[in-house]
Amino acid sequence: MTPSPSLALATRGLRKSYGPRRALDGLDLTVPSGVVYGFLGPNGAGKTTTMRLLTGLLHPDAGSIELLGRSFRRGDRRRLFEVGALIESPSFYPYLSGRQNLRVLAAAGAQVPRGRVEELLELVGLRERAKDKVSGYSLGMKQRLGIAGALLSDPRLLLLDEPANGLDPAGIVAMRETLRRLAAAGKTVFVSSHLLAEVRVLADVVGIIAAGRLVREGTLDSMLRDQGIVRVRVPRASEPDARALLEPVGRTDVAAGGTEDPWLAVHVDPHRAGEVNRLLAEAGIFASGLESGTDLEDLFLELTSGGDESGEGGFGRIASPGNGQGASA
Amino acid sequence: MRIFLAGLRKMIGRPASFVSVGLLVGLLGLIIIASATVGQESDEPQGEAAARLLLTFPGAYDFILSFLFGLGGLVAVIYGAAIAGSEWTWGTLKNAVARGESRARYMLSTFAAIALMIAIGLAISFALGVLLALLGATIAGVSTSGLSDADHLARLPAMAARGWFAVVEQAALGFAIATLARSQLAGIGAGIAFYFGEGFASIFLPDIIQYMPFAVARASIDTEGSGGGFGGGGGVVEALPADTALLLVGVWLVGSLLVTLLFTERAEITG
Repeated sequence: MTPSPSLALATRGLRKSYGPRRALDGLDLTVPSGVVYGFLGPNGAGKTTTMRLLTGLLHPDAGSIELLGRSFRRGDRRRLFEVGALIESPSFYPYLSGRQNLRVLAAAGAQVPRGRVEELLELVGLRERAKDKVSGYSLGMKQRLGIAGALLSDPRLLLLDEPANGLDPAGIVAMRETLRRLAAAGKTVFVSSHLLAEVRVLADVVGIIAAGRLVREGTLDSMLRDQGIVRVRVPRASEPDARALLEPVGRTDVAAGGTEDPWLAVHVDPHRAGEVNRLLAEAGIFASGLESGTDLEDLFLELTSGGDESGEGGFGRIASPGNGQGASA
Repeated sequence: MRIFLAGLRKMIGRPASFVSVGLLVGLLGLIIIASATVGQESDEPQGEAAARLLLTFPGAYDFILSFLFGLGGLVAVIYGAAIAGSEWTWGTLKNAVARGESRARYMLSTFAAIALMIAIGLAISFALGVLLALLGATIAGVSTSGLSDADHLARLPAMAARGWFAVVEQAALGFAIATLARSQLAGIGAGIAFYFGEGFASIFLPDIIQYMPFAVARASIDTEGSGGGFGGGGGVVEALPADTALLLVGVWLVGSLLVTLLFTERAEITG
């Protein structure tokens, strides 16, 4: 792989197995500098393994990693001086206070400027509880402290594994704003998550991983545009005309209708909902309902439904009462 | 140096540090108070004489050191295992490695902090032990005139240094075991099992066990051939000469640290 300075992070053909189980199977990531990158995947898809490889906790069986424009191999630990990470659950000495834990952590790796610990305690809203032992912290407080730990060296690249875990709504909003601010300041934020809604509001670029492989990568806008949908309810008598009118705009399906007026589903950028409405109105077809949205969830499920290879299993879907089907597990 | 100082900060605040010193001083205090009570008035003249001997200076210095270096070895195995094991169990080694810290330097600096903490702990325990022995001697009505015995006091630093080295070697063993186990509890358990297992094995394999880590630690402080300190199997094995044993203590210490460093360097950190 030729190092590219415009990329904050790139992997090529990354492979990692735990015994007979392959966790990563040729992962190719391309993370541009200065963006928030959402790394999405179901449980066991290989997200945390990827994070561990990116921070030198694990060593790849094959493939290459490029961090901040330079290749990252075993022994290149100093490359991590410019990287901040929160991997899995935040880890601290339970008998030390939040402040002491940050000071102890600051002793490892890159030099941390004086006053940085206090600055970060303020940033994550833990100043008041900084003297308390971490054993008395809630999960959300530990998560905040973990984020502060990741920011200690003012990193150019921030790797966060499920950072919203345990945070209350206000904490999630504050974290989101902080991460957006960091990206606006030119830093790159790589966030792994299985929370679609969180990634949707936070990320500029998204990579979706399933069974150890990247199945889709791109800007959220383009991905959602492809997956966008506009639903419009038209009078039953006008359905064929409306369908013919909308087909040139985007693939149009008839959704459920029953005895009521049918819904037409137009697969198009949701921002074009007004245009759909206007087209119908100009043809004298007046919609009694209009919905638009993007279905990241559908896309996610479509892309990641190739079988659960993690061995973790998944939830079955319970059929609605009365449809004659039992639960599948 | 930063890691070493951070290691000290971690250990000073750690309950295990206080518990270790408290355990040593508490047990030593119990023995001294019991000896003082027996030495004060006893139906058995032999027992009374033995008890008073424990409290008589300068011999009391030897008793205190022997106790600290003997039982201190077991405490050190547990302490070393607790420190190394918790780095894996709590995931704090992961934090340091992810910040680009050298794994080997991190573990070595942490162990250096342990070695200093052991020196501080032994010094505090010894000072408190002497105070308790003085109290015991006063209770038993034993003269404390030997307290300032110049010959004995002159020998104390060398004895203390040997003892500290032996205790540090045993801490290194616990440190290595917990690193291999990658777990605090498993490391402590395996360390204790190894400590008593070696003592038990000395019944069947005395020729081999005399070269094993706890046996050489005991032998290295036994400069007068008295059988070493308190604890695990001392006296069953024919002890090596103290200087030979001291050399082997160094070998075990270096070996334990090498195992720790090699394993940590190569380990895949998944916790």
